[in-house]
Amino acid sequence: MQPMAAQGRTMGVLDRLLRNGPDGSTIFAGGLLIFLAVIVGAPAAMVALMSLRTGFPGEGGPLTLINFIRVYTDLSTYNVLLNTLLFATGTVVVALIFTVPLVWLLMRTDLPFKRTIYVLLTLGILIPVFLRTIAWILLLSPRIGLVNQWASQIFGLDHPLVSLYNLPGMAFIQGVSFVPGAFFMLAAAYRTMDPALEEAAYTAGVSKLRTFFWINIPITLPAIAAVMVYLFMTAIAVFEVPAIIGLPARILVLSSLIYTSTNPPTGLPEYGVAGAYGGVMLLAGLVLAYFYVRLVRQGKKYTVITGRGYRPREIALGRWKWPAMAFVMLYLSMEVFIPFLVLLWTSLLPYLQLPSAAALSSISLKNYRTIPDYTGALPFINTAILMVAVPCCAMLLSVLVSWVVIRSQVSFRGILDTVAFLPHAMPSILLAVGLGYLGLAYRNIFPFYGTIVIIIIAHTINWIAYGTRTTNSVMIQVHRELEEAGKVAGVSAPRVFLRIVLPLVAAGVFNSGIWISMLSYREVTMALTLYSRKNTVISTVVWQFWGSGWVPEVSALGVILVIFAVIVVGALRIGFSRVGEVGSSV
Amino acid sequence: MKRIRLRFLVAGLVGLAAVAGSAQRAPAAPIDELVAAAKKEGTIDFYAPSTLTPEGAQKLNEALNKKYGLNIKLNYNPSGAMTRDVAKVVSFAATGTPPDWDIMVVHDAAHATLWLRKQHKPFDYAKVGVDPQVIGYDRGTVILANQFVLPAYNKTILPSKDVPRSWEDLTDPKWKGGKLGMGTATHHLARLATAWGEKKATEYVKALARQEPYLGELGTLYSRLQLGEIFIAITMTDSFVHRAKLKGAPVVHAEGIEPVISPAYNAGVLKGARHPNVGHLFAVFLTTPEAQEIWEKYGGQTSAFVPGTTAYKYAQGKKVLYMTQEEAEMVDRLTRVYGKMLGFK
Repeated sequence: MQPMAAQGRTMGVLDRLLRNGPDGSTIFAGGLLIFLAVIVGAPAAMVALMSLRTGFPGEGGPLTLINFIRVYTDLSTYNVLLNTLLFATGTVVVALIFTVPLVWLLMRTDLPFKRTIYVLLTLGILIPVFLRTIAWILLLSPRIGLVNQWASQIFGLDHPLVSLYNLPGMAFIQGVSFVPGAFFMLAAAYRTMDPALEEAAYTAGVSKLRTFFWINIPITLPAIAAVMVYLFMTAIAVFEVPAIIGLPARILVLSSLIYTSTNPPTGLPEYGVAGAYGGVMLLAGLVLAYFYVRLVRQGKKYTVITGRGYRPREIALGRWKWPAMAFVMLYLSMEVFIPFLVLLWTSLLPYLQLPSAAALSSISLKNYRTIPDYTGALPFINTAILMVAVPCCAMLLSVLVSWVVIRSQVSFRGILDTVAFLPHAMPSILLAVGLGYLGLAYRNIFPFYGTIVIIIIAHTINWIAYGTRTTNSVMIQVHRELEEAGKVAGVSAPRVFLRIVLPLVAAGVFNSGIWISMLSYREVTMALTLYSRKNTVISTVVWQFWGSGWVPEVSALGVILVIFAVIVVGALRIGFSRVGEVGSSV
Repeated sequence: MKRIRLRFLVAGLVGLAAVAGSAQRAPAAPIDELVAAAKKEGTIDFYAPSTLTPEGAQKLNEALNKKYGLNIKLNYNPSGAMTRDVAKVVSFAATGTPPDWDIMVVHDAAHATLWLRKQHKPFDYAKVGVDPQVIGYDRGTVILANQFVLPAYNKTILPSKDVPRSWEDLTDPKWKGGKLGMGTATHHLARLATAWGEKKATEYVKALARQEPYLGELGTLYSRLQLGEIFIAITMTDSFVHRAKLKGAPVVHAEGIEPVISPAYNAGVLKGARHPNVGHLFAVFLTTPEAQEIWEKYGGQTSAFVPGTTAYKYAQGKKVLYMTQEEAEMVDRLTRVYGKMLGFK
């Protein structure tokens, strides 16, 4: 019944176009739709193509199912799938255990030092995951971990108390690193939560903790569920923690298999095998994206802002203030302070050592002085290009898409919105692998392999879903009256867009642009998959230094970057008091 | 009779003139021909390990020009990911696109991949004076530097009585359970098969796998070794040991173990290269003492086949495993087999 209805609608659109001819908006929207469909569809098509081919990009040959047979008749693949499922689930659980209380504390209570905590949360995103992982190795390694050594001394244990070389350990480290992103996603839901129910609970004498569990969490459950799905999708695609913690312990997940299939340590890449692994990942992404959209739509039913000037009241924490601060400090210690201290310590050493008097006597600033010798200027230039170009491209496309989706009456605007959301369903590693294959196999029509442009394209596609969700919500808030006034005054649609709409949405667009810029700065998976000598960026330099054993040198680079990030984020925080809202519209 | 004498005289003069003429037009020495051909091309796109550094590449460029009286412009392309860049060459060749580089310096296992796919542009290096010992892959490459691979350990943590004395010592049950580390360079172990035979090497790798070593890239194992997370890295290249020495890190090779594994950096001109003559000349140059000195200073290694070099001296009196092209296919196959055995997918 539904396909028939859809067919009927399509026929109706075609019929109207044939009778009336397309207007300017329709032509523009049509062009935009085709453009988006091509840039979003091409990498997916490449993944499908490579999964059906053997050999190298460009070698051609007949289509075959051999890669699927090889991958899915191997029982170890199912072990990897199970690992992936457990790792992603564990990651989401850990992330939410920290995120939900943090969001509630920062958005709904009178917790002190909120601005500083915001800045530190943002900062946590900028510390490379592998550097945090080194900190965790120093703490929780079964042999040298400080926690295990202390436990052994205090309790006389003859075996390690904890170890991070297992799935829970991997999920814990990855989950903690996801908290800032999840925080900004959930913040909007908590900020707009109806305080009436809470207040009713308090009036009835219900404790703050019980209110949190029985009122706040159920009300925001759709938003939490949407974040869970989003995090799950991200967790199945990341590969830093699986590579650093999982690989040494032989715990493989899908993303590490896809990466090693296309970047094997020895031998030649097996793109077909990567495509076959990617097939299941793509399918999972589409299913999860479907649930994500449903959950977000369902979440809108819970909208509780009822009038203008609405502002929920902050809850006084009272005697719970300091326990709450302790919780926040615990998290920030794990996410920011301890990794930064480890980073600082390591950066001063000639080689990696545990704290000791001998190590202390060997510290110097030599690693800071030699950074230019190791990196050169190119990674910094390329990163700067990424941080400017990616938000510009992603937000430009997002504004144009949202303008059509929210403001126009174009009949296929829903399709446009869906296409713009589809990259969300495509794990980033697959997107990069698909683009890499395109660049290698079809160099004549896509001559960007090995250039910074291919990373800009990958990042832009990856964050266009996020960009359009943000601009959609910003655009909705701008009343049509101003545009209509412009049109009545005889101003053309493009001028109305440029002179009226764009200035009104500029603040929101700028905020989202800053966020995308930061995400682009720290992104490793795609940049590394598409890496070549000419498009090296800071994140790939950091990764390769780790892989090459240049840990003190890269730690020095990390310290400088963190200090730089503190200055930038602090300045932005002061300049844009709403920086805490960045990322809230996903 | 007089006529005959005259004929002889004329013939003699003609003969003399011919000899004199031919002396003037005597074929140039092969190296001169190569230099002349290189001069016409004027440029070289050179791919080499990033450890060489741009400064090292520039020094090589200057020394090349000085030695042969040329003004060649060298474009240095530091290696990003050797395996993938080799794959890129193969991919480009499949689409008929010329390679980005004229000459690639990568380890012998990577060159084996290019050789098996006929991606070298062969040259008669022996004809221009290159030692036949360093010519490989059907005249496609020359060896310019050797690495030396042995187990490595943290000397501040590992008691001297526990330092392995042989490869077999690593299979002792006392090292079971994450005390050893194995790098992604499983071709190191595959090379043992060239000395031990495939059966013994495979049994050895199976025994190592039962020790459940930590897995990772060599660089990460080097870091874990410094921290004491692992006691011994099953294989470690001398570049890390050399680095540890410079930094004062307590990572050393377990000297005395034999055979010493020696992967070699080979220089090979690629099929379809835009500047093949400069490429071949540069490959020849890389085997000379002048180039060896620069390579050692910046790249950290030298050729074990050039007398007087550090590698040459180190290899004297030791049983060193060099891979030949006949063994390349087996090493390539066993590399993947052993990788899977050890837990790399």
